[in-house]
Amino acid sequence: MVNMRETKPTYDVCVIGSGAAGGVMSRQLCEAGAKVILLEAGQEVKPTQFRSHCWPYELPFRGLRGEKQELFYPPDLHNSIRYENSDSVGVDRIRVLGGRTLHWNAVVLRYAPVDFRQHSVNGVEDDWPISYEELAPYYERIEQMIGVCGQDDHLEILPAGKHYLPTIPFRCSEQILKRTCEPMGIPVIPVRKAVLTKPYDRGPKCHYCGHCMDGCDVSAVFSTPGSMLPKARATGNLTLRQNAVAREILVNGEGVPRAVSIVDRLSNREEEIQARIFVVCCATVETARLLLNSRSRHHPNGLANSSGAVGRYLHGHLGGSADLYLKELEGRPPSNQDGATDHVYIPRWRTSDPDGVYGFQVNFSSYMFPHQAKRLSGYGSDFKTAVRRLQPGYLMLGGFGKVIAKPENRVTVDPDRKDEHGIPIPVVHFRFDERDLATYKSMHASVGEISDRLKCTAFLNFGDKPGGFASHEVGTARMGKDPHTSVLNRFNQTHDVKNLFITDGSSFTTSSEKNPTLTIMALSLRASEHIRDLRNKGEI
Amino acid sequence: MERREILRLISLSAIAPVIPTLASADVCASAHAAISKEPYRLRFFTPEESKALDEAMEIIIPADGHSPGAHAAKVNLFADWMVDNSGSDVQKRWRSGLLQLREQAMKSSIGDVLAKAAANEEHPASELDGFFVMLKQMAVDGYYTSEIGIHQDMQYQGNDYLLSFPGCTHPEHQGKP
Repeated sequence: MVNMRETKPTYDVCVIGSGAAGGVMSRQLCEAGAKVILLEAGQEVKPTQFRSHCWPYELPFRGLRGEKQELFYPPDLHNSIRYENSDSVGVDRIRVLGGRTLHWNAVVLRYAPVDFRQHSVNGVEDDWPISYEELAPYYERIEQMIGVCGQDDHLEILPAGKHYLPTIPFRCSEQILKRTCEPMGIPVIPVRKAVLTKPYDRGPKCHYCGHCMDGCDVSAVFSTPGSMLPKARATGNLTLRQNAVAREILVNGEGVPRAVSIVDRLSNREEEIQARIFVVCCATVETARLLLNSRSRHHPNGLANSSGAVGRYLHGHLGGSADLYLKELEGRPPSNQDGATDHVYIPRWRTSDPDGVYGFQVNFSSYMFPHQAKRLSGYGSDFKTAVRRLQPGYLMLGGFGKVIAKPENRVTVDPDRKDEHGIPIPVVHFRFDERDLATYKSMHASVGEISDRLKCTAFLNFGDKPGGFASHEVGTARMGKDPHTSVLNRFNQTHDVKNLFITDGSSFTTSSEKNPTLTIMALSLRASEHIRDLRNKGEI
Repeated sequence: MERREILRLISLSAIAPVIPTLASADVCASAHAAISKEPYRLRFFTPEESKALDEAMEIIIPADGHSPGAHAAKVNLFADWMVDNSGSDVQKRWRSGLLQLREQAMKSSIGDVLAKAAANEEHPASELDGFFVMLKQMAVDGYYTSEIGIHQDMQYQGNDYLLSFPGCTHPEHQGKP
């Protein structure tokens, strides 16, 4: 039995979701003087609770069943999504204060001008309603706000800012990779990561433990709770509501959003959170789910869905990887290779080839576990010796390729199947097409060429079809100029209702081979200023 | 995380990062305490099955002049825990595979049976071949996540708190090939 009651006061802005988008939005609006309530379906996991530094043998299943991150994925998430007629893809639905900023590798790359103009350049997909030049000042400010290590490599495909923290030194394997790739015309550059390589904005620097993705116990890796929320709280304008699962956005008699109906995960009580403006930052799948579950007389197909585009154009990265063991480094004495996971990056280099839309992240896999032990044949003392001998030469390449945004790939909701809070679950429908597979094939070939030149023992992890989406899913509430084919305008404001904004990855018109988080944060920053200006003018 | 390492950090670095570090060590220690109650009581395998498993895994990852093997790392007990916490399909495959292994071994030895199955490792042709692959994966998972596997065999140097990361300093890695 659900108890219903209304809560006061009415907030200026209700931000739903506390990940990269919601964190930026909440801080900026609080600093602009708005009374903000931030809703998070999960709850805080303090850095003191992180298991990042635990040894495998200290964990019940040696860390092989996700114990390090299990506090980020509470049981009510389990079995609350369905994949229907889909290729091998998975979406990340973390449920913790800070969202995926607690469980990410922090690689932050700017999209290039061409990434916003896919239709103009390639004649496929659509152009974004904004250009790189419009977003560039926001990229710059976000980079300074969060602290990014890296440098300007003067690459058109990977624009750079003016202010970076020191780069992370290359490992031996990465120096050899660079030495080998450069004659092939393949750049190997210092990675750009939201990792503090020196103390910055009162944050301590990285201690190179290699656990970036397990939650950084000193907040040297950017996270919303570590960086954005303290600033938002300091204004006195932030109300944080945890364990608040958004069921639907409620509208008034004129079809204008007036409140969010939430279910408290702990008490199972239902409440309404009232606000004048709503910003949805739940991440691609959950955002689409919330809008599609927000049906009313005025919005029979879901809120902000007069175009029918909500849930459509789901896409994300396709991936393949390789575990390489460099002959040159075999048999060397063991040394600490952990570092900050990625230290280098291979940006897209085949920039005029339509199939060459991929780059490589390097060495984001653990150095603690010898992955080759799963791949080498044989057994006994020779096997054991071979595992040990290969380990110093480990070099991991992880390819991230662009996927084409297509309307038939989508998220729907299943009205007949509900999660434990009684909310219809999302259903993912996704197929790669021949263009995606051509990119994958080209990526596979490139890995083969690189590994051939490297003189190494190579284990390539490429099947017939790629996997997706590397937690980089985007596109289900896309921006566009045409209200008939898109959900959001150029300021991440819905075409249909003025007081509703969406600034997470769902807002992407198209994706690129680059990681999306920096663009999400830049869009959120830009939209926050638009909201501020509209409020100042009294227009919303 | 050793206490001496934390103290080293305290002596060398600002205090701010140390506080969560100490707490993090507590989290790991308490997690460890919860699972390390001795003696371990078999949950899924019978003592006879566990003994055969122990023998087979020690053949796959043996003690040698460099480090102890799967037996010392108690990988058979890890396998018992993992299989006990798996679905019934997985449990059936383990029980059936072990039965076949033990039956075949009565005619020769576990070592001989594993040698035959290992010959088909790349392309398993029988249930026993498939069981060898499963057995080896479990041995690898258990051994290389154990204290012995991580510290004594691989001599892993990381999971540390460093003040700086030196990177590669070898000129030969940075020049032309």
